[in-house]
Amino acid sequence: MYSLIVAHETRTLAKTPALAWILLLLSAAIAFGAWSASALLERQARGAAAISQYEDGLRAQMRAELAKYEEKVKASGGTLEFAPINHAPGEGPPQATNAGAVGSETATFAVLPPAPLAALSVGQSDITLNYVPVSMRNVIDVTKENEIENPVNLKTGSFDIAFVVVFLLPIFILAMSYDLLSSEKERGTLAMVLAHPVTLRKLMASKLISRFVILLAVVTALGLGAVLSVGSALDQPATWAWFGAWLGATLLYSLFWFALAVLVNALGHSSATNGIVLAGAWLAFVVVVPTLVSVGATTLYPAPSRMDFTTAAREAQTAAEFERMRALDAYYYDHLELVPDAADKANDFLTLAMASSAAVEKAVMPLYEEFQAQLNRQEAAVARFQYLSPTLMMQLALNEIAGTSADRYEHFMTQVFAFHKQWTEFFAGRFLKRTPLTTAEYDLFPKFTYVEEPAGAVMARLLPSLLGLLAVVGGVTVFAFAALRKYRVAGR
Amino acid sequence: MAEASLSRMKAPSLIGVVARKEFTEIVRDGRFKWTAAIMVMLLLTALATGWQKYAAYSAMQTAAQETSNRQWLKQGDKNPHSAAHYGNYAFKQAGPLSFFDNGIEPYTGNLLFMEAHKQNLAISRPANDMSAVTRFGDLNGATVLQVLMPLLIIFLGFTAFSGERERGTLRQLLSMGVGPRELLWGKALGIGGAAALAIVPCIVLGALAIGLLDLSSTADALWGRVGLLTAAYIGYGLIFLFLTLAVSALAPNPRAALIVLVGFWALSVFMVPKSAAEISKAVYPSPTLGEFQAVMKADQVRGLDGVPTAVKFGTYVRELMKEYNVDSPMKLPMYFPALRMQKLEEFDHVVFDHHYNALRNTYMAQRRFQDGLGLLAPLLPLKSVSMGLAGSDLLHHDTYTRAAEAHRRVMVERMNGYLSKAAADLNGVSNSSNYMTADEEVFAIVPPFAYTPPGLREVVTEYAGALLILAAWVLASIVLAAAAVGRVRRAGA
Repeated sequence: MYSLIVAHETRTLAKTPALAWILLLLSAAIAFGAWSASALLERQARGAAAISQYEDGLRAQMRAELAKYEEKVKASGGTLEFAPINHAPGEGPPQATNAGAVGSETATFAVLPPAPLAALSVGQSDITLNYVPVSMRNVIDVTKENEIENPVNLKTGSFDIAFVVVFLLPIFILAMSYDLLSSEKERGTLAMVLAHPVTLRKLMASKLISRFVILLAVVTALGLGAVLSVGSALDQPATWAWFGAWLGATLLYSLFWFALAVLVNALGHSSATNGIVLAGAWLAFVVVVPTLVSVGATTLYPAPSRMDFTTAAREAQTAAEFERMRALDAYYYDHLELVPDAADKANDFLTLAMASSAAVEKAVMPLYEEFQAQLNRQEAAVARFQYLSPTLMMQLALNEIAGTSADRYEHFMTQVFAFHKQWTEFFAGRFLKRTPLTTAEYDLFPKFTYVEEPAGAVMARLLPSLLGLLAVVGGVTVFAFAALRKYRVAGR
Repeated sequence: MAEASLSRMKAPSLIGVVARKEFTEIVRDGRFKWTAAIMVMLLLTALATGWQKYAAYSAMQTAAQETSNRQWLKQGDKNPHSAAHYGNYAFKQAGPLSFFDNGIEPYTGNLLFMEAHKQNLAISRPANDMSAVTRFGDLNGATVLQVLMPLLIIFLGFTAFSGERERGTLRQLLSMGVGPRELLWGKALGIGGAAALAIVPCIVLGALAIGLLDLSSTADALWGRVGLLTAAYIGYGLIFLFLTLAVSALAPNPRAALIVLVGFWALSVFMVPKSAAEISKAVYPSPTLGEFQAVMKADQVRGLDGVPTAVKFGTYVRELMKEYNVDSPMKLPMYFPALRMQKLEEFDHVVFDHHYNALRNTYMAQRRFQDGLGLLAPLLPLKSVSMGLAGSDLLHHDTYTRAAEAHRRVMVERMNGYLSKAAADLNGVSNSSNYMTADEEVFAIVPPFAYTPPGLREVVTEYAGALLILAAWVLASIVLAAAAVGRVRRAGA
C-alpha cells in the first residue's frame, strides 16, 4: 500500500510546476552559495599570500645582504660581526646579522588554513583575521588587527550554503507541505481517498516520504556537487566523514520542518491558516528566537570595552616608559639612525623596549583574557539556549562541521600565542647574546604550522546540537502523528 | 495622504465604510492580535535594548576620548617627535539615532590609533567580540520594521480581495456599485490603519524618548532626521500594503496570494539583499588587509609615480641646500632630522590618500550598486536611507576616519615643526635644549581630538538615489494595485 501511495504522490509531485520551481531555486541558491563561499576562501588565501610574501621578501633581502657580507668576510679572512640596530645603515655589517632587528622589524604570518568543508558555512570567518602577524612586538599587537571588508556587506551577511540550508530550505519544505491535508480536504478528495483501505497516518507518511525522498536526493546531489567543486582535502576520509555529518544534520533539520507541517495540518485548519501559522513558525524559529538568544547572550555577558582596554594599556605603557626609559632615549629608540655617538647604546634601547613591552603585556594580558573569557561565556550561553530553536542548533552544527566556529579560531589563537613566544625567544636569545646571525640560521627561524583540533573535540561540541535536533524531530513527529488521530476528515 | 485621498474621492463615505469594515474585521481577528502583539513586544524590546546599548556606548566613548586626550597631555616630558609616536586615539561617536538603527556599527572599528608615520585603520570591531549567532541579525527597531512590518501587512491583507472572492462577497460588493477605487482605498485605509495601530504607538514612544532625553543636541537637524525616517518607513509600509492588495486582487485564492506574497517577502528581505552584497563584491572587488598593507608598504618605498621616495627626498634636500647655499644638510638652519621626518611623512600622505580613498570609493561603489538593485527589493534602498539618517552608515564612519587622519597629520606636523626649531647647531651634536624636550604646554598646541558628524544635507545628498528608488516603488505599487483592482472590476470578479 505504502509503495502505491508513495509512487502516486511522487508522480503527482513530479507534474506540479511548483516543485520544479522550488528545486530550480534551491539548486540555483546552493550553486550561488558555493560560488560566494569559494570567493571568500580565495580572498582570504590572497590576503595571506600577499602579506606573507611581502614580509618574507624583507627577510629574503636581509638574508641576501648577509650572504654577501659572509662572502666578503670569508674573502678577507675576518670574523662575522654583530651590527647594532641602525635604521640608516651605512658601512659595516648589515642589519641582517642582528637577530633583534630581524625579529622585531619583520613579521611572520601565522595562517589558519580553512577546514576541508569551510565552503559549507562561512560563520565568523569573514570577520576574523585568518593570518596573524607575529613578531617580537607586544603580544597584543598580534590580536588587534581585523580583516577588512565593506561593513555594509558584513552586516548583510554571507549568502553561503549554510544560509540556503538554514533559511531557505525550510521555506521550500513548507511550500511543499503546508497544505498536505488541507488542500485535499478543500478539494474534497481527502474523504474519497480515505474511503479506501488506508489510514490517515499511512497516507500522511506516504506523502511525507515522497517529498522527503525527492528533497533528500536533490540536497545530497547538490551538497556533493558543492563539496566536489569547492571543498578541499577530498582524498581524506575525514572530509567525507564530515560531509556525512553535514548530510545527517541537513536531513534532521529538514525532517523537523516536515514534521512541523504535519503537526499544523493535523490541527485541521484551512490552507491559508496553515500557511500563516507555518510562516509564523518559520519566522519565530529562524529569525526571532536566534535574534533574542543573541541579544540575551550579549546583554548577559557584554564584551568588555575595547576602549577601556586601550586606555588602560596606555596607562601601563606610560608607566613603563617612565620607569624604564628616559624620554630622550625613547626618542632615539624610535629613530635609531639619529643616535649620534654610542652605537652600542642602540642595542640597549631594544633591550629596554623589550622589557617595557613585557611590562605592558603583563599589565594588559589579564584584560585581554577577559575578552576571551566573556566571549566564551557568550558562546556557552548560546550553546545552552540553542535548544530553543532548531535553526540555532543547525547553525552551530554547520559551523562546527565547516570549521568556522569560534572555538576553532580560539584553538588557532592559542597556537599563535605559543608561536609568538617561540619566535620572540628565538630572536631575543640570539640578540641578547649579541651573536651575529648566520645565513644557516635563517633556515632555523621558527615556522608556524596549524595543528588541527582533534576530531573528538569537535564532535563533543557538535553532538549536543545533533542530538538536540534529533530529539526535537522525534518529539514533533510523535506529537504530529498523535494529533492526526483526532483529525476530522469531513466537516469543519 | 489618506485624508487627502478621502476628500478627493467622489464618494468619501463609501471609502470610509469599506475602511471601517476592513479595520474592524482585522482588529477582531486572532491573526492581528497575535502578530501585532509579537511585533509590538519585539519593537519595544528592540528600542529598550537599543537605548541601553546606545547610552552605555556613548558614556564609554566620551570617557575614553577624554582619558585619551588627557593621556596625550600627561604623557610626560619627552622629545616632541616621541610624543607623536605616543600619539592619541580617536574614538567613534555613536550615530544620533543608532539606538533605533545601529546600522554598520557592530561591523566597523570604533577606535583608531593616531601615530607618527602611519595611517591606521579603525580597529576593535564589536562583532569580533560577539558570538557567531549575532550574525543572525541584531534586534533593533529598524530590523523589526524592515523584516516584520511587511509580514504583518501581508498577514493582514492577503485575504482583502482573495478572501472575499472565495466567499463570494466580492461579486456582491461590485454589483452594489462599489467602484474599484473606493474598494482599493477603503481596504488600504482599513489595513493600513490596523498596521498603524500596532506600529505608531511604538514610534511615538521612541520619539518621546528622544525628546525627553534631549538627544537633539547630539546631531544636526535631529527632528528632520526623525521626520525623514518616519516618511521612509511609511513609504516602505505602503509598498507592501499596495503590493498585498494587488496580489490579493489578482490571485485566484487566498492560498495563492499568501504564497506569492510570502515568497516576495522572503526574496526581498533575505535573498536579494544577500545576493546583491555578494554580486557587488564581485563587481567591485575590495582588497583584504594583507593585500592592502603589502601594496601600501611597497608603495611607500617605491613611490606611486615610480620615483622611489629616497630619490625624491634626495632631490628635495639638494634643492634645499642650494637654496640655503650650504654643502651639508646638517648645516641647514633648522634641525634636519625633524625636517626629514616631516618631509617623509608628506611623501607618505600621497600614498595613504591614494589607497585609503580607493578603499573608501570601492565600498561606496558597492553600496550604490546595491541601492541600484533596490529596483528588485525595496529593502535595499530603505536600509541605506535608514542607516544614513540614523548616523550609523558608511558616510558617518568615513567622516570619523577622515577626521582622525586630519588630526593625526596636524599632530605630527606640529610636533615635528616644534622640533625643527631646535637650534641648528644641534645638528650632529647630542644635546638637549628647550626644543628637544616638550612638556604638557607644548603638547597642548595639538587640540584635543573631536569631530562633527555629517549634517542632514550631506546624508540626503548621498542617499538621494536610494530615496528616489523608494519613492518609485511606492508609486509603482499603487499603480499596480489600482490596475489589479480595475481588472477585478472588468472581469466581474
